[in-house]
Amino acid sequence: MKTIIKEITTSVLATLLFAIVCCGIYPVLIWGASQLLFSHQANGSLIEGSDHKPVGSEWLGQNFTSAKYFQPRPSSAGTGYDAASSGGSNLGPTSKKFINGTTKTIALPGKEAGKYEISDVVDFDGIKLRVLGYCDANNIAYELIQDGKPVDQKTFKNEKGEYDQVKLITAFNDDAKPLTVKPASLIPGDAVTGSASGLDPHISVKNALLQAPRVAKERKISVDVVKAEITNTKVTAGPQFGILGESGVNVLILNLALDKLAAK
Amino acid sequence: MNTSGWIQLILFVGVLLAITKPLGLYLCKVLDADGKTFLDPVFKPLERLTYKLIGVDAKKEHDWKVYTISMLLFSLVGMLFTYAILRLQAALPFQSLFNPQKLPAVGEHLAFNTAASFTTNTNWQSYSGEGTMSYFSQMVALAIHNFTSAAVGIGIAAALVRGIARHSAKTIGNFWVDLTRVTYYLLLPICIVFAIVLVSQGMIQNFKPFDSATLKDPFTAQEQQKDGSSNPVFTTKQVQKTDEKNNPVTDAQGKPVMVAQSIPVMVDKKVDTQSIVQGPMASQVAIKMLGTNGGGYTNANAAQPFENPTPLSNFLQMLSIFAIPSALTFYLGRMVKNQKHGWAVWAAMFALFFGGVMVAWHYEAAGNPNLAALGVDPADGNMEGKEVRFGIFNSALFATITTDASCGAVNSMHDSFTPIGGLIPMLNIQLGEVVFGGVGAGLYGMLIYVIIAVFIAGLMVGRTPEYLGKKIEPYDMKMASFVILILAFSILGFSAWASVTKMGAPDPITQQLTDGTNNNGPHGFSEILYAYSSCTGNNGSAFAGLTANAPGYDTTLGFATLFGRFAMIVPILALAGSLARKKLVASSAGTFPVSGTLFTCLVVGTVLLVGALTFVPALVLGPVVEHFLMHGGKLF
Repeated sequence: MKTIIKEITTSVLATLLFAIVCCGIYPVLIWGASQLLFSHQANGSLIEGSDHKPVGSEWLGQNFTSAKYFQPRPSSAGTGYDAASSGGSNLGPTSKKFINGTTKTIALPGKEAGKYEISDVVDFDGIKLRVLGYCDANNIAYELIQDGKPVDQKTFKNEKGEYDQVKLITAFNDDAKPLTVKPASLIPGDAVTGSASGLDPHISVKNALLQAPRVAKERKISVDVVKAEITNTKVTAGPQFGILGESGVNVLILNLALDKLAAK
Repeated sequence: MNTSGWIQLILFVGVLLAITKPLGLYLCKVLDADGKTFLDPVFKPLERLTYKLIGVDAKKEHDWKVYTISMLLFSLVGMLFTYAILRLQAALPFQSLFNPQKLPAVGEHLAFNTAASFTTNTNWQSYSGEGTMSYFSQMVALAIHNFTSAAVGIGIAAALVRGIARHSAKTIGNFWVDLTRVTYYLLLPICIVFAIVLVSQGMIQNFKPFDSATLKDPFTAQEQQKDGSSNPVFTTKQVQKTDEKNNPVTDAQGKPVMVAQSIPVMVDKKVDTQSIVQGPMASQVAIKMLGTNGGGYTNANAAQPFENPTPLSNFLQMLSIFAIPSALTFYLGRMVKNQKHGWAVWAAMFALFFGGVMVAWHYEAAGNPNLAALGVDPADGNMEGKEVRFGIFNSALFATITTDASCGAVNSMHDSFTPIGGLIPMLNIQLGEVVFGGVGAGLYGMLIYVIIAVFIAGLMVGRTPEYLGKKIEPYDMKMASFVILILAFSILGFSAWASVTKMGAPDPITQQLTDGTNNNGPHGFSEILYAYSSCTGNNGSAFAGLTANAPGYDTTLGFATLFGRFAMIVPILALAGSLARKKLVASSAGTFPVSGTLFTCLVVGTVLLVGALTFVPALVLGPVVEHFLMHGGKLF
């Protein structure tokens, strides 16, 4: 019994002492050294805008939806590239949701107070819709195939000529007559899959090259100018030291460089 | 499986092999109470002061019982310490410095789960780091265990090795001396250098509140409306009732039966800023990797770009997982005065590691046929849940390493791996994480298999089994078997229980209890099996689709971590005590050699056989059947 009381006292004292050394002195020491030696990195590798306020971090991807910007990979972090809630889709290879997408019923506040407009919206887009969207955006030919036969794209479009995404997802999920997409050329894997963090700053080089004509057209500049920006070493990192990891194009840095070019 | 991957693999193994001997020799000095190291001028005064303050006589060694009691009490106190800080997170002083995001206190079942998980070197996380834990909780409540649980593990391995090396001895070491020396001479110095290197690569280390960046291309997203007390708002709609099989229900007159269905009320939200995570990350990540803890600072762990910015930071993080476990095999050889035995154990571990990498890499590179059918380039492999800068090879390698060891940090989402690619991490954990393994835990786990292997060899030739001059007797075999059985009992027992009940949180719309899985079909079962494997194995990685933050999961998974740690360590220390007491018997022509190819193959065979007999039936129901269904194009 005496031993046990002594061991408890020792345990408590040791816990407190190690807390001071390993959780107080040690992190503060690292903080001091890194602020001194690598203050840019230690503070988040922030990129400043013209007003000296941050426009992003070199390491964190951002959501770009306008056609004149290069688009990053699909993201499961919050509402898209939410750096305060990193994470992947965690959908497995045989998930229907992952391949075909899902819809959900929601209510939006109506014109009258207390009344709601109930409608179906896309819950998770899924690989098929992403492939279709990527083809559409980047002028890649594709076919829609239902029940083994090609179908007219207009079947799934509204009066404005835009796709009805809910109708598409419903048809993708129709077990009796499943709808599927067949692109004329190969789609880069990273373009239609979500990253692990939902904050992947990079896309593959072939993905960037496929997007280049669209970006050039939207910005009314030549494709060669855009491609020259892609190959800029600040934008595209090859394997580190020539061996480690893979090459990738930093989407945020590339888009900021293009904006800077336009501002000139 | 491209050339660049092969070059990186050879580089990794080469560097690991190169540091094994020097680090192993250093470990011999650290784990000797009188050992002299080049860091004595810095840490000797601190070491002496520590013994004085906590009231320990460093000259005195203890028997296995006292060693065990010290270890258990220290773990219990540490667990209560963490639980208290998490529960009081929002009430502690200096909130503006230590909790600038104003995060609330952690709930009781989550705090229990987290305290158990970090005390046991598991670092299973039912929460998302950046949204749940204040800087103080991360830095103190969690990080203290990153150091101490690693030091405890290494101490236990050293105690077992002493038991093997000594004969006719009563004592196996002093717990407090092992704990202190490992922390000061091994973990802290490496972490200081490692953390600063990580910062140079782009990892953050500061005490600022989150930054807000102005987006160049704002967009609109929908989010659920919140009422005054920040509860989500729902409205209802009359819909026809459906039965369990989703068929519409009608009453006796054939009229549809209507029920009210909850519908979430959404509002448009303009997203024009990105909040950028900040905090003391590098100091924590260094020990998280080196101590094979694995608890991420952020939810996405080592996939989050700050937490693993470059391929070099990735390489060093992988290396730091294996560094100490690999060096411990050298320590074993040196201590038992049979260096060939140490290398034979290393070789057995390497063989299992290499096999795992090959399978995981092959299947991840082969990709998902369901995507190839949609025109997605099959040459890109399975990129779902992987980062571009790491690609297929570094993701498969990291997944294998983190589960070979009991680390559990991830740089890709195991849940989105192909079925067989995801089977490898799960099987690695179920084999007991003996492939280099957790710091200390890997070696003592592997030595249990070694003892079983020499026992089997002894039975085959009809002699009393011997291990390094010690007779292996019924008591020793009982302890070794207990270790194997507790693993199977906890993983399979809890998984079976969770599969037939609903341990998840209630669905926000239907209010009915769920099983918490994110995937249907065999993959959903894999998520549950992985969770209990990971917690029992003290790994902490996950098929993270499982929403485990619910009372049922938090509690059972918390107990799984405690079983997996303490129900194993106690018999191992008992075994150490028993081996230390034994007399040496002279080796003869009939003694089974514990080095060489035959021995290595026997150990690898034992690990695979015991693992296969125990876990193959469960794995067949999960990843194996999913593999065949995936190739048949079946979706769930």
